[in-house]
Amino acid sequence: MKVLDDFSNIFKRYDLDLEVTGEARAVSKDATMQEIAQFVVDGDDEGILPAVKKALESKPPVDIINDALIAGMNEVSRLWDEGVYFLPQVILSSDAMNVGIAECEAKMGKAMDRKSTVVTHTAEGDIHDIGQVIVNALLNANGFKVVNLGADVPVEKVVAACKEHRPVMVTGTALMTTTMTAFPKIAHQLKAAGLNIPFICGGGAVCEEYVTGYELGVWGKEASQAPEMAEDATAGESWESMRSKWNG
Amino acid sequence: MNAKERVMAVINGQKPDRMPCFGANSTVTYEQMEKVNAYWPEGHDVGEAMAKQALAAYSVLGFDAVRVPFCQTFEAVALGCIRKPGKVRELEGVPGIEHPPPYKLTDTPVFPDDFLSRGYIPELIKAVKFLKKEVGDEVPIVAGIIGPFTIAGSLLDSVPLLKATFKAPEKIRPFLDVGEKAGTMLAKALVDAGADIISCEDMTASPELIAPKTYLEFELEYQRKQFDAIPVPTILHICGNVDAIVEWMGQTGATILSLEPKASAHLAREKCGSRIVLMGGVDTATTLFLKDADTVKKGCEESIADGIQILAPGCAVAPGTPTENLLAMVDVAKAH
Repeated sequence: MKVLDDFSNIFKRYDLDLEVTGEARAVSKDATMQEIAQFVVDGDDEGILPAVKKALESKPPVDIINDALIAGMNEVSRLWDEGVYFLPQVILSSDAMNVGIAECEAKMGKAMDRKSTVVTHTAEGDIHDIGQVIVNALLNANGFKVVNLGADVPVEKVVAACKEHRPVMVTGTALMTTTMTAFPKIAHQLKAAGLNIPFICGGGAVCEEYVTGYELGVWGKEASQAPEMAEDATAGESWESMRSKWNG
Repeated sequence: MNAKERVMAVINGQKPDRMPCFGANSTVTYEQMEKVNAYWPEGHDVGEAMAKQALAAYSVLGFDAVRVPFCQTFEAVALGCIRKPGKVRELEGVPGIEHPPPYKLTDTPVFPDDFLSRGYIPELIKAVKFLKKEVGDEVPIVAGIIGPFTIAGSLLDSVPLLKATFKAPEKIRPFLDVGEKAGTMLAKALVDAGADIISCEDMTASPELIAPKTYLEFELEYQRKQFDAIPVPTILHICGNVDAIVEWMGQTGATILSLEPKASAHLAREKCGSRIVLMGGVDTATTLFLKDADTVKKGCEESIADGIQILAPGCAVAPGTPTENLLAMVDVAKAH
């Protein structure tokens, strides 16, 4: 079953084609769907549950996920790109969307189909995981399964998680220059384990020259690039080709 | 002019003999530790080692101030957080705060009566006294405190705090209140110990984390209250691109705004008027840590052209930063 088959309008920049600035647009003509989408846009993780439950009485869970929950998050992304929304709103909206998705999944009796798996982590010694929080929210909203290892993750744990979950790509964020030295070690161990997956590295201290200095490394300039990079990795692009596309 | 006269001249709106150069944040590096024979982790929790490392800014680099401490945990630990050592394998780093945090949003935070004798604060005060004995009135002593919003982030963890700014903003006030009290009380104690300038780091108040309206409606009044109570010149440092809030940063009462190069000094001048002093220079990660002296010099010149009056690393210096890159900053300052 194809649950999420059209992501073409999610997490793209809309600033070249602006009709409305500063407020959310309607995403559905269906009043029930629009109401749910609005709870996502408002980041209301309490109000959304009864609304989704009620909608599930008459609508297929797949439609609610695609036409209301994902569509609402799409609006949030647009507002963020435009500088109307700030990080707390993106986090709250992502929470609300996840509450809705969990309810739909319960109705389906299984997890919604995800495009592929991505492992995310913040470097060992680094407790600043805000960048990773955004990456997780965006990947999740775009239909990827996120294995979230959290902050301050030792090199071995990242490698072990990649061996276990076989992701299409792995991400690492670091705010401090002292901690990003873990990245080449991870890349080296992934290669040694035969896992030639793109290793997207980004965050405050991390720059392109550093990341492209080790194999597998692809520099992630902005958290908002993560979904498109995951699309590339899912399509089977190598780390070399992703590096030449996204860096340099 | 000696270093203190030079810095005070800028602060007092007079012409210095040349542009001063020093950090609003930590400038300690591994190479400086070798030179002064004082190392981490002692530099984070033993007053004398802390002071020795701070002195390196003047004795090794030729910066125009000495600055303690080198992490952001002092107030938080005294308020009940647990310090997480900065050690990553063989390398000593900057300590952080252990998870989980001591409070939930529904709790009422407590301000302890014995705040100044808790955690590592007595050692920080000792370090300032030691520095005063060493540098007297030759070199200004910059002592660091943490802003109310950032302390609230340590007490609650940043993600719950960020969510609360939209879901239950009134509930963060008691935490901002405790955070403000902590920073202000520490600042006064550090001034009594000999600090000439108080530098307030408020990382979590950046528009890269919270909405500008949250800064305006919540953090601004606490920062005003704080700066109003501090009897010496003050620096306000907020990380990242602060263009969206810089006008209000100029209304806090801080004497100096410390900006990262991604924020516009030109805009800060336009929004804050002629009296505010602007400090900044080059990016600490992508330039100071990773590039060479020539690139550092170029970055400094660009910041000066943008309106910077005190040359400084844009944020806390990475401990692995090469000495020659920091010396390059002083070279630029000497030419202005």
